[in-house]
Amino acid sequence: MRLNLKIWRQAGPDGAGKLVDYAADHVSPDMSFLEMLDVINERLVKQGEDAISFDSDCREGICGMCSLVINGVPHGPDRGTTVCQLHMRRFKDGETVTIEPWRARAFPVVKDLVVDRSAFDRIIAAGGYVSINVGGAPDGNAIPVSKQVAEQAMDSAACIGCGACVAACKNASAHLFMSAKIAQLSVLPQGQVERTTRVVAMIAQADADGFGSCSNEGECEAVCPKEIPISNIARMSREFTRAVFAGK
Amino acid sequence: MSSSKLDAKVPGGPIADKWDRHKFEMKLVNPANKRKYTVIVVGTGLAGGSAAASLGELGYNVLNFCIQDSPRRAHSIAAQGGINAAKNYQNDGDSVYRLFYDTVKGGDYRSREANVYRLAQLSVNIIDQCVAQGVPFAREYGGLLDNRSFGGAQVSRTFYARGQTGQQLLLGAYQSLMRQVHQGAVRMFARREMLDLVIVDGKARGIIVRNLITGAIERYAADAVILATGGYGTVYYLSTNAVNSNVTAAWRAHKRGALFANPCYTQIHPTCIPVSGDHQSKLTLMSESLRNDGRVWVPKKQGDKRPPEQIPEEDRDYYLERKYPSFGNLVPRDVASRNAKQACDDGRGVGDSGLAVYLDFKDAIARVGPETIKAKYGNLFQMYAKITDDDPYAVPMRIYPAIHYTMGGLWVDYNLMSNVPGLHVLGEANFSDHGANRLGASALMQGLCDGYFVIPYTIGHYLASTALPKVTTDHDAFGEAADNVQQRINQLLAVKGSRGIREIHRELGRIMWDDVGMARSAQSLTRALARIPALRDEFWHDVSVPGSPDNLNQSLEYAGRVADYLEFAELLALDALQRSESCGGHFREESQTPDGEALRDDDNFSYVAAWEFQGVGRAPALHKEALVFDEVHPTQRSYK
Amino acid sequence: MVSGLSSERQPGKLRYTDENMSSRIRVFDSSVGSKLLIGLTGLALFLYLITHIAGNALIFLGADTFNTYAHTLTSNPLIPIIELGLVLVFLTHIFKTVQMFVRNKAARPVAYAVKKPAGTPSRKTLASSTMIVSGLWLLLFVVLHVQAFKYGLEYEAASGVRDLYRIEMETFASPLTVAFYVVSMLLVGSHLWHGASSALQSLGLDHPSWTPRILAAGKIAAVAIAGGFVVIALWAHVTGGAR
Ligand SMILES: Cc1cc2nc3c(=O)[nH]c(=O)nc-3n(C[C@H](O)[C@H](O)[C@H](O)COP(=O)(O)OP(=O)(O)OC[C@H]3O[C@@H](n4cnc5c(N)ncnc54)[C@H](O)[C@@H]3O)c2cc1C
Ligand code: FES
Repeated sequence: MRLNLKIWRQAGPDGAGKLVDYAADHVSPDMSFLEMLDVINERLVKQGEDAISFDSDCREGICGMCSLVINGVPHGPDRGTTVCQLHMRRFKDGETVTIEPWRARAFPVVKDLVVDRSAFDRIIAAGGYVSINVGGAPDGNAIPVSKQVAEQAMDSAACIGCGACVAACKNASAHLFMSAKIAQLSVLPQGQVERTTRVVAMIAQADADGFGSCSNEGECEAVCPKEIPISNIARMSREFTRAVFAGK
Repeated sequence: MSSSKLDAKVPGGPIADKWDRHKFEMKLVNPANKRKYTVIVVGTGLAGGSAAASLGELGYNVLNFCIQDSPRRAHSIAAQGGINAAKNYQNDGDSVYRLFYDTVKGGDYRSREANVYRLAQLSVNIIDQCVAQGVPFAREYGGLLDNRSFGGAQVSRTFYARGQTGQQLLLGAYQSLMRQVHQGAVRMFARREMLDLVIVDGKARGIIVRNLITGAIERYAADAVILATGGYGTVYYLSTNAVNSNVTAAWRAHKRGALFANPCYTQIHPTCIPVSGDHQSKLTLMSESLRNDGRVWVPKKQGDKRPPEQIPEEDRDYYLERKYPSFGNLVPRDVASRNAKQACDDGRGVGDSGLAVYLDFKDAIARVGPETIKAKYGNLFQMYAKITDDDPYAVPMRIYPAIHYTMGGLWVDYNLMSNVPGLHVLGEANFSDHGANRLGASALMQGLCDGYFVIPYTIGHYLASTALPKVTTDHDAFGEAADNVQQRINQLLAVKGSRGIREIHRELGRIMWDDVGMARSAQSLTRALARIPALRDEFWHDVSVPGSPDNLNQSLEYAGRVADYLEFAELLALDALQRSESCGGHFREESQTPDGEALRDDDNFSYVAAWEFQGVGRAPALHKEALVFDEVHPTQRSYK
Repeated sequence: MVSGLSSERQPGKLRYTDENMSSRIRVFDSSVGSKLLIGLTGLALFLYLITHIAGNALIFLGADTFNTYAHTLTSNPLIPIIELGLVLVFLTHIFKTVQMFVRNKAARPVAYAVKKPAGTPSRKTLASSTMIVSGLWLLLFVVLHVQAFKYGLEYEAASGVRDLYRIEMETFASPLTVAFYVVSMLLVGSHLWHGASSALQSLGLDHPSWTPRILAAGKIAAVAIAGGFVVIALWAHVTGGAR
């Protein structure tokens, strides 16, 4: 199989980038998308040319490192799939495939397809935790948590922090990302104490980092590799309203 | 014979009291003084992340480093199955002592008893801590924590969060860490790769890192250094580990004098998705639980290329059931793996490559129906289908063993300090608790135990009992180390050869897998010991590392890691050659029972092999820490 | 503040701090607070539209009923206050949406070379992508509309009240006006197609089994309201012209 690739190349954060054409020959349908790029890079390296920079690590859909927009859709055409799990059998011989980085003010390009997602860390640092120190925790079974609540918390906690939601959103909003963490901690008993301060602080930090707001289109949910629903965003609104009434 | 270099510093007294007693005897750092101590933590996985957060909470000034763009992406995130703890919530007879016993036995009597006991003791606190952080563990209908039995354990002691236990535990630690970052106690340095350890007056006092974005070589000074940089499975090129996993930090510390213990102890996981071609960059693990319902088989005849559904029962060899009637498909990881290899070596492997065996659910589906199978394994079946494009409900899965975990690592004493004063090593990067084989769901336990509950005490003791005159990054030792790092980078860029880095890594992986893999012999190891240095020479003469040193250059990063593997691989093979017994994950063909099972040689090999670096290409010096078993008495394993 | 995180980049400055703004403004200046306010005002306008069309539908009952209704409504002493409230709601809605639009645009300074909708379960539609366009058009429309009907011609009906019926019939006699109205009403429909259910989502109303119904109901309401106004305009044109 042969593909025509148009890949975003950008030397550094400040430089202008452009789409560059590459031919991918002998693509096997069993290859993952990233392995296809590995092969191109191997060729470039052997020719002494600068390889295409892209992020990846676990290559099994859990670390959230891989982050490519393929033909205009973050993580490519498969639902609930990171690009590291996307396989080339999904593409047709002779197809043209455009590959771009996540694009958002809050995720500046570092090089080529690699972006800086440290803004996500700052959102969590602003309040995405339960403030307990090691040592004083009560027995794990001291506070029962209903199965249903535990499952609900886990649904939200499944977020891998890849940022596809931001990449897909026309507003480059981080609402799905932060609402998932807010939702997880707001349904669990452990998260109650800081419930109101957390939501306000995390939203303030996301705004400060230049993410946009939410227009309720739900493109984020559609590209989320963990299929986290925008009902989390609705919950965030409720939590925020609650905090407002609590005078936070 | 124990070497003078290796004082394990195991406290006296009965095994159950050692840790409590030690905690009391250790010196403390005055709360007001903690802020004055700087501690470097390299790694943000379960071990590093939990350590950095806990030390920050205690008031130390912590500098935390990782190579990914965020601490949340450490490889620990990928762990699926669960985490063990001796809570005995199920009332099924578990206890600290049983977990201790199982771990020592599972490690094939090659671990240090006192460390393992402490691990079992502290396991219960881990669960409490994680629950309090809001980790959404699986629950029963009554609201209490759920457990499952894992990896052949006879009790249900494994806590889990769907198939994402590692992720949830890591996010718990990460969130605690971010809280400390917010409070200014921890400073986080992401996308930094540690490339050297700085030793001043014999003590670990800092590190040199490369800023992976700007390429700058940065120096950081501290009063103590903690390495929690994970395992070295990717020396085999293909493994279940994340592709950026590396031995670099540990190896550079080794080159500065830290002893490397038991590098030949590697674990192979029997149920991974087989290799589909040369392009393959990693292997995907399929949960071991599949063997509860799947039956493993290969055709009886060599070279039988019929599709599986056309091979009648009488032409199939359910070799695990045949050879191990009582354990059948549930034999331990190493036994299952070796038998798969034997079947394939025999020419009976299946699939295009001939390097796979079938894991067949036909009978289970017929017995309980597809719906039940789907409820149990639906997500795994889906993942398998996504990767292979086969429907495992209709045709048997193809599986093959893959490198999964490395038990060896930098040698540490009971305080988790290496032989280099001030250099502490946690998690998969150290050698301590799993002996020659790790039990399922015990790596997560060890990482968090080291980070949350051991290092906060032992590092205080080190700092309080050691004279640590102020050292700044202007010190000559920093200059020397930084130059050293710079030189190696320049060398890599200067080769300008014609061979791809990946190509050489792949070749190294093939040597390691063929000759230092599941079954090793003096012959294969000697062969590897000749091939590795030759490949290393080729690398340094003919590798191509494009790009510049002063911005993001993933080729350069990768080349540096492969270069270290090309040195480390030799040590791994040497260690395997030296240990002419079989034990746990280390199988020497020369040392087997008449039935082909691993045969230990306790008289000659009941020791930890800790190697001291003497120069690249020079034979390292072997130090032995004798293993004493006061509690658990070594016996031969049998699964017949 | 967050220190030394992941990159050299300094974390963004908080847009609003305790020192420089009162806490209420701070709440509604945040991205979520803005959404709440837009949702709330949008919902109010939506409810207003429902009463509006219900009233307008009285036109089918003849001039007298319609004019009496209009008179009763406009002579109510509370009306100026309600109108003022409505204007405030309307202006707030416009101000917040435009402000949010500008901020949202700034959140992606470099556009994608290729961008495609992601498909199910996304709620993205042509309507949702053009809210600012339909919204601004409606602003223009409302100005003209209020001018025409509230501050426009003054006919007196036989009963002595303002003959709004006649005004309406005359206004819609012009095909151009009808066309303008029909286009505007289609845009109302488009705005509501996304906006009605979106307002509820913004306010946090969400439920596993109710949300799909809300989404459907929003679309039905959009069609009904827009369709209703269009029918009235066309009917007025046809019957008015026939008179
Ligand atoms: C697929 C898979 C499934 C698993 N499932 C289970 C399971 O169910 N139960 C279980 O108990 N165990 C499991 N394990 C094993 C377990 O996940 C690991 O052993 C454990 O998480 C290792 O944690 P760690 O903190 O030691 O290292 P890691 O999580 O590997 O973290 C290493 C850290 O060091 C950093 N680092 C590495 N090199 C450098 C450098 N040179 N400079 C700076 N930073 C560096 C990295 O950025 C990272 O932050 C599994 C492993 C795999 C591969
Ligand atoms: S590389 Fe980890 S999610 Fe894709």
